Amino acid sequence: MGRDKFARQSLGALHTRIKQSRVLMVGAGGIGCELLKNLVLTGFGEIHIVDLDTIDLSNLNRQFLFRNEHIKKSKAMVAKESAGKFNPNVKIEAYHDNIKDPKFNVAWFKGFGVVFNALDNLEARRHVNKMCLAADVPLVESGTTGFNGQVQVIRKNRTECYDCVTKDPPKSFPVCTIRSTPSQPIHCIVWGKSYLFTEIFGTSEDDAPDMDMNEDSDNAKEIENLRQESQALRRIRDSMGSEEFPRLVFNKVFKEDIERLRSMEDMWKNRRAPEALDYDALAQEALGAGPAVAQKDQVVWTTAENFAVFVDSLKRLSNRLEETRANADVGNSTAILSFDKDDVDTLDFVAASANLRSHIFGIETRSKFDIKQMAGNIIPAIATTNAMTASLCVLQAFKVMRNELEKAKMVFLTRSTERVISSEPLRPPNPECPVCSVAQSTLEVDTSRATLKDLVEDLLRLQLGYGEEFSVNSEAGILYDPEEDENLPKAFNELGLKDGSFITVIDESDENAKVNLVLSITEKSLDKDSKPINLPAEITIANKPKAAPVAETNGHVEAGTNGVTNGKRKREADEVDIESANATKRGKVAVTDPQENDILVVDDATDGAILIDDD
Amino acid sequence: MADLPPPVQGPTAKEKKYDRQLRLWGATGQQALENSHILLMNSGPGVTGLETLKNLVLPGIGQFTIQDSAVVSEADLGVSFFLEEEHVGGFRAEHSCNLLKELNPDVEGHYITEPIETFATQPDAFKPYTLILVTAPVRPEILAKLSAHADASLVPLFYIHSVGFYSHFSIHLPPAYPIVDTHPSPETTTDLRLLKPWPELLQFAEEKTSNLDAMAHDDHGHIPYIAILLYYLEQWKKEHGGNPPQNYKEKTAFRDIVTKAARTNNPEGGEENFDEAVGAVLKSLNPPEPSSSVKDLFKEKECVVIKQDSPSFWVIAHAIGLFYTKYGVLPVPGSVPDMKARSADYVQLQNVYKSKARKDFAEVLESVRFVERTANRSTQIEEKDVEAFCKNAAHIKLVRGRPFHVVQPNESIKWADRAKAIVQNLTFPDSLVPLYIAFLAWDKFAATHDQDGLVGAQQVPGETDAETDAGKVTGIALKITDDLIKEAVATLEEDELETIKSQVREFVEELVRAGGGELHNIAALTGGLVSQEVIKVITEQYVPVDNTCIFDGVKSKTAVIRV
Repeated sequence: MGRDKFARQSLGALHTRIKQSRVLMVGAGGIGCELLKNLVLTGFGEIHIVDLDTIDLSNLNRQFLFRNEHIKKSKAMVAKESAGKFNPNVKIEAYHDNIKDPKFNVAWFKGFGVVFNALDNLEARRHVNKMCLAADVPLVESGTTGFNGQVQVIRKNRTECYDCVTKDPPKSFPVCTIRSTPSQPIHCIVWGKSYLFTEIFGTSEDDAPDMDMNEDSDNAKEIENLRQESQALRRIRDSMGSEEFPRLVFNKVFKEDIERLRSMEDMWKNRRAPEALDYDALAQEALGAGPAVAQKDQVVWTTAENFAVFVDSLKRLSNRLEETRANADVGNSTAILSFDKDDVDTLDFVAASANLRSHIFGIETRSKFDIKQMAGNIIPAIATTNAMTASLCVLQAFKVMRNELEKAKMVFLTRSTERVISSEPLRPPNPECPVCSVAQSTLEVDTSRATLKDLVEDLLRLQLGYGEEFSVNSEAGILYDPEEDENLPKAFNELGLKDGSFITVIDESDENAKVNLVLSITEKSLDKDSKPINLPAEITIANKPKAAPVAETNGHVEAGTNGVTNGKRKREADEVDIESANATKRGKVAVTDPQENDILVVDDATDGAILIDDD
Repeated sequence: MADLPPPVQGPTAKEKKYDRQLRLWGATGQQALENSHILLMNSGPGVTGLETLKNLVLPGIGQFTIQDSAVVSEADLGVSFFLEEEHVGGFRAEHSCNLLKELNPDVEGHYITEPIETFATQPDAFKPYTLILVTAPVRPEILAKLSAHADASLVPLFYIHSVGFYSHFSIHLPPAYPIVDTHPSPETTTDLRLLKPWPELLQFAEEKTSNLDAMAHDDHGHIPYIAILLYYLEQWKKEHGGNPPQNYKEKTAFRDIVTKAARTNNPEGGEENFDEAVGAVLKSLNPPEPSSSVKDLFKEKECVVIKQDSPSFWVIAHAIGLFYTKYGVLPVPGSVPDMKARSADYVQLQNVYKSKARKDFAEVLESVRFVERTANRSTQIEEKDVEAFCKNAAHIKLVRGRPFHVVQPNESIKWADRAKAIVQNLTFPDSLVPLYIAFLAWDKFAATHDQDGLVGAQQVPGETDAETDAGKVTGIALKITDDLIKEAVATLEEDELETIKSQVREFVEELVRAGGGELHNIAALTGGLVSQEVIKVITEQYVPVDNTCIFDGVKSKTAVIRV
């Protein structure tokens, strides 16, 4: 009686195929840990894991391959070590690396029978989607949020790809809403996190992704004022460490700036005017409060308590920054701090600052616990949902490996007690999809010899029959079109095109235009006497569809939320309503966390739409 | 500021570790988990039981105990994550308990290697546990004993199968299992009472819409949409005999009126607040009628007669029932959705709703106190519980727990009041009731077959002779099907019956082919399903499955039925 007795009995012929398979798992977080366990114990022969992240305390309530002693270590490496013990017959390779690293090129992806996405962010999901399409490898995509989960099989030319349904990019607030006219708690939180914190401890606000700095004629003057305010604040930064520093910062942002705003009477004709705070009065009041209140994260603090936490956390952060600077080598780039929701000092500072500002503008203040969720883009995550989602991934992979793609499904976990798991058939590719409705090929290039002309004239015009009107684009931008031909004599390497680069050819003919052609470059030294550029396999490039039939695009309408849909698609029609209603009014709320890159629509007052993502 | 005391660090390590789940069930849910002690009575390959525990140890239940007398074999290593090479020959309960404990140092784990037959017959054997999980196969007399315990002590009991690609679990909950914190989806919680406005709300609307036509564009574009709707509702009522728009046709007509009232001659060429009003017409212009399940709740016997020892849920429900009888509506929950409005107006509107909610709550609280006095209750129900009930009154849920089937060797299976509904479900294409029947037949086989030379050890179908066993189990399953149809006094078309029977046969064959073995992946999935329900039951939040869930891993499909 062997260790795989049960598996052989139930899986039959598939069992052998599983044992011989080579699969890739991108992400070793919540879903990843469960998935790796399931893959190992189902007997998958060879498993590669890529994850760039390290282990954090807040992972341990579900990422069960990790323990306290693993905190700060590589997720991929520890996962390999922990899971490997459970089946000596499985070969596991781990990479503590970014999946977008060029070494994970199309050829590398081609080496896998199935790829599993167990990721926490849109960008990486889209990248793996693209790579799997280019390599023509089946992808099992998954995501969870709270009790909801989703699994989707993606196969080139046969199913919808990840980008067939448009995913909204993270949204941002107009800068004036954040800096001058906040009306919601989230506005003050974004102010605390992306303006005040970054101006004092980080780099400049210009890098803040959640503030829209676009100006138009209406607000040009105010934006100029705001620039001056930021500069003044940066000058105060120089006195960091001094006894007076908290007072200086406080008086600048909670008094002077407010008084300036208040003096702009036009702004407050129809709004409640902000009321500046007084440092000394609050300091007096805060004597009884003390910063110990920072510990109580589920109660809403009083103004005096917020003041105490503000002053105290400002000192804690200043000391940290001073220490870092003292330890850093002279001449190195300036030390900075960045906001991290799990870093108590930074969170206290943002929570207290946001609440003080809310108080000034007559906005409801929030508890630190709530602010953490809103500022940190926290997505609820639990073991149960991950366990189910990961198992559903493997069940879908079985279909793929049995060549029964027609039986594979889009599977949803919902909180409904009538169904628990629901599924719908996979949809065909969206003919308008900018990612998968394209022709794809690898291109072998001797990048030092081959010029853009070799590509444009020899390959595209002569070999593939392109006409006059088309453009060639790299990830950096346009390389060639009929009006822009100065790059033609340049070699590939001069144009920054190297192994792993992608080129998109867009046919702009009026009639019978070809679909976009995506070429992924493989660097190869080709014989001096042969052409420096070579298509290793023949390709056919279809024509673009005429106007897409309305019925087909209807199927994609409900994709109003970002990233992965949350649970069941059907419900989203309603949610889109709600969401877009909010959106029109406050310019949408979503903040990307530079730390983790997970994305979420911040739900402020209501439990609004949240995206699916588990780190 | 040197006089400020030194900082105390923020949330504890424990709060940080549980941060992502606290956002789902909060501190009270977490406390309930930490107070629990879960007993797993494990049998068969035992993987699903351990996977279930894994998902409960991670979020931090208080304690768990594994009862399992099996010894670790080589085959266990291939499917169980919580056993290692060096454990072969040792007690499965002991080694998996130790590995599970490693997942979370905050959880206490215990194990019992005493055989189930003697363990279960000790007096008070189940007493320490707040929830019991039992996996198939298990002797019918023991399952019956557990079921009786669940009845008598109100301890929730879960019975779990996981065989090959299929699994099932049934939950035996107390006969009255009420849930206040059901976490309704956000879009169903807005209750604006536009068709039953109170004087302060009407006054607010009047104030904000006075002199509507003469308003400056900027003012007109900032009227909160609730005021807009109330204003045009009053107009409509004047022309319709005092009645609001009552059906879809009238509502669309009303919507058109609001659409046309928006100004388009302003610089923006439209008005967001009017867009919001238009968007809310179909959703918000419904009479604030409680759902039938909430109304039924007020008629339950526990709700009508409050005794000295009635659970507080019923006391509050009784008081809210009185409120409903008096006013024809539930207490106002008090929250207002976001909308285009000036901050001051929005805050004013929030206050209109909040004061009304507070007033309603005060009235309910007063009658709670009255009932408490009349029933001579010794301790007062906490105000916050009454408040939470008022806020969520429209979404309160009562689950009537009931025993699941315990398959006895010499008795046929009784479906009682569920027979008709189950037969109806059976006739649906893709029904999973045939799979449930196959599991019942599997149990019957196990109940009537012992392993050679091992007294007390059950033999499961397919363990030694798949072909013979498949024949036997199919016979049992078809008999169960016939009995069910007979009990429901239903007549089915010949071909309908044949389809059902062939489905039953197919499921039986697949179950028997697995020979009682578990697939890790199905065990993991079932463990996820079961643990999720366990969490709901322990935290008394969210609505649990009532009462049976069947999973088909070939089709990645579940069904929930009440048996």
